[in-house]
Amino acid sequence: MMRRSRSLLGLAIAVLVLSGHVGNPNVVLDGNAGPYPVRVVVRPPEVIPGQAEISVRALDEGVTGVTVRPVRWDLGVEGAPRPDAAAPVEGEPRLWSASLWLMEFGSYSVHLAVTGARGEWTLIVPVPAVALRVTSMPRSLAIPLIGLGLFLAVGLLSIVGAAVREAVLPPGEEPDRRRRRSAWIARAVALPLIVLALFGGSKWWGAEDAAYGRKLYRPPAVTSTFAADGAGRLLTMNVEGWSGRSGYLTSPLLPDHGKLMHLFLVRQPGLDAFAHLHPSRVDSATFAVRLPDHLPPGEYRLYGDILHESGFAETLTDTVRIPAATGTRSAADADDSWLVGRPAPGSAHLPDASSIVRLDAEEPLRANVPTTLRFRVFDPAGTPAELEPYMGMLAHAAVTREDGSVFVHLHPGGTVSAAAQARFDQIARGDTVRDASGSLVSAAGHPPGHGGSPGSAGMLALPYEFPRAGRYVIWVQVKRENRVLTGSFDVRVTD
Amino acid sequence: MAGIVCGWHVLRLTFAGSSEERAATVRWWGYFRGPLGAWTCVWGAIAMLTSAPLDDWWHQAYGLDVKILSPPHAVLAQGILAIQLGALFMVLAAQNRQHARRTGTADVGADGAGPAERLLPWMAAFAASLVLANFAIMVSEYTWRVFQHGPLFYQVVCGAFLLPLVAGAIASRLRWSAIAVAGLYMAFFLVLVWILPLFPAEPKLGPVLSHVDRMVPPQYPLLLIVPAAAIDVVLHRWNRTRGWGLAAVLSAVFLVTFITVQWPFSIFLNSPLAHNAFFAQHLLPYMVGSDWALARGEFIGLTSGLGLARGLVIALIIGVVSARLGLAAGGWMSRVHR
Repeated sequence: MMRRSRSLLGLAIAVLVLSGHVGNPNVVLDGNAGPYPVRVVVRPPEVIPGQAEISVRALDEGVTGVTVRPVRWDLGVEGAPRPDAAAPVEGEPRLWSASLWLMEFGSYSVHLAVTGARGEWTLIVPVPAVALRVTSMPRSLAIPLIGLGLFLAVGLLSIVGAAVREAVLPPGEEPDRRRRRSAWIARAVALPLIVLALFGGSKWWGAEDAAYGRKLYRPPAVTSTFAADGAGRLLTMNVEGWSGRSGYLTSPLLPDHGKLMHLFLVRQPGLDAFAHLHPSRVDSATFAVRLPDHLPPGEYRLYGDILHESGFAETLTDTVRIPAATGTRSAADADDSWLVGRPAPGSAHLPDASSIVRLDAEEPLRANVPTTLRFRVFDPAGTPAELEPYMGMLAHAAVTREDGSVFVHLHPGGTVSAAAQARFDQIARGDTVRDASGSLVSAAGHPPGHGGSPGSAGMLALPYEFPRAGRYVIWVQVKRENRVLTGSFDVRVTD
Repeated sequence: MAGIVCGWHVLRLTFAGSSEERAATVRWWGYFRGPLGAWTCVWGAIAMLTSAPLDDWWHQAYGLDVKILSPPHAVLAQGILAIQLGALFMVLAAQNRQHARRTGTADVGADGAGPAERLLPWMAAFAASLVLANFAIMVSEYTWRVFQHGPLFYQVVCGAFLLPLVAGAIASRLRWSAIAVAGLYMAFFLVLVWILPLFPAEPKLGPVLSHVDRMVPPQYPLLLIVPAAAIDVVLHRWNRTRGWGLAAVLSAVFLVTFITVQWPFSIFLNSPLAHNAFFAQHLLPYMVGSDWALARGEFIGLTSGLGLARGLVIALIIGVVSARLGLAAGGWMSRVHR
């Protein structure tokens, strides 16, 4: 039995989607530039060419300076201009800020060179450069401009009249009737020409505006279908509109920790069911995944994170109606995980009797303020748990706003995918060799800032910046004793 | 600056000018008085100032534009052109009054006979050459040396250059005025080609497709001086300075002489022989990659055959219209006395 579901809210969501995540324009990263731990926040521009605002906070002493440099994925360091120095922020120790021009659309990385007592080390931060919205002119500007325009049009008519009437006369001679009439005729001829020019100008403006609208970033559309067969519910995602896009959006997909796509399903409206699945690729435009039978039926929002070889991350979105399960099969991929249950504000109890507690839960969360979401995992005995890496990370988290307008896949390193960082690192070193499994390996092992070492006494710190106020749900996923555990948390963010 | 100076000038003439000075002005809105060129300069300054907030908003909405002609830049270009024309009109008014005094054709009062007065026709030619340079910059996206064997280049040149060249040639009372206008245009750009590369510079914005370590000059000026000489010869021999017949002859003569010199010259510019300090064709903007036609000196566009011939005929027709407008403008400008 086939069920079909179109992207009902896909269009609305698409307006807000920004590379790699939904509704989150900003890049938040906790990483190491060599021996210096830093927290980086990059606010990419909304129009291209435009300026990205970068702030770098050194987390310990010893840093004396920071420079930034935009490096495009296909041109590398050779095609980058000289680094710009970041300026220290007044009144804030160890905080630097810089504005960096991103001149063309594409997949960029910002090379942060941090200088200090222990030398100069570079941290690479992936930054997408795409235009996201169209602005309209405010009234306070439009009205004076229209006034000036009218003044100029009238002025031009007067100049034409004066030119015909008097300019060709010798000094002192007064214009006669014939000349005055010629002046009126000249003005009468000039008026429609001026109107035509203004009309032409407004058409030109409209054409430029439309051309810009076509360049706005849009993720490819997704059509999801279901087939329930004897082996369970099969979700197939068909991605449309791959072709015709620029090179950085059509470069092949890179696996992120061995997975071509990380798919998140969130049930609406209560956000009381969640799944983190890993579809396999059927062909160049189709992905398929078998749903775990524990996942209840209902209306779900679907977010698929993918990463291109250009270092550009995208999130495919859709809404689907999942039918009821017909059996009790478990998930296809051992790394698939899910949670059925309502989110709670402070702590989550996990199936194996361990728990995750949200630290600093009484502290208010503000929108557009960089923050760190802290959690601690306790084993059934109440002692801090020993955690194992889950797909290479100490923890994975998914954050969504209750209306679906914000979605992000977070790690201890921040909003950035480690595979994207590894890719830019590889580009910078000029190394394009892959290992046998097809996943990227950098010669020095995982790049710095990868996610912390396992066994850090159950402490989790996830840096993030909420883009808007509202009610959010955070799912935190850890691995303990070879079992993936997911807890969900209800948080409120104010302005 | 031009706006402020001319604005002060017209206010002074309106409220405090002598009757002789006021005789040489035009009326504005019934009461204000000032030379026509001064009003044009004020208009131009206001247009330039209007374009500034519009351009600022444009960049915030659509990004920093890396092209020359966008709607706010077009407003700015009109303003710059108006200021140049205003200066030209003021010089022409003085020149034409001087000419009228010399030839006794009208009672135009005494402006004085200082050394500056003798230079008036040269000043007029210089002002006209700046207008020509303005047009050249506005169409510079179409006049790169790699386009100079294609029909579009010749159509653009005939359309954009004949008008100011012919108008300036008639307005300035030098004997070889077209050569003067074209020569001054060439001198203006040659100074930039020779002087700018002397200053070291580096790209501050990416992506950098080729590394440059000095300032990159604008395009080498077109060899308009040869067709300008031909225009002067035609104007000397023709009885009148009006009419479609004259316009047709001017266009044909311009196109034939221009293509005769520019076609082989562009081959030279595209060759390694032009990679020196005199021609500076090895200096290209940093956003030009080494595989681009501009870097390799290859011609783009239709360069032979029936398509080219048809394109050149269209260029000729465009030139006739442009020359006719130039004749009308020049004729009017030679009669401006205020």
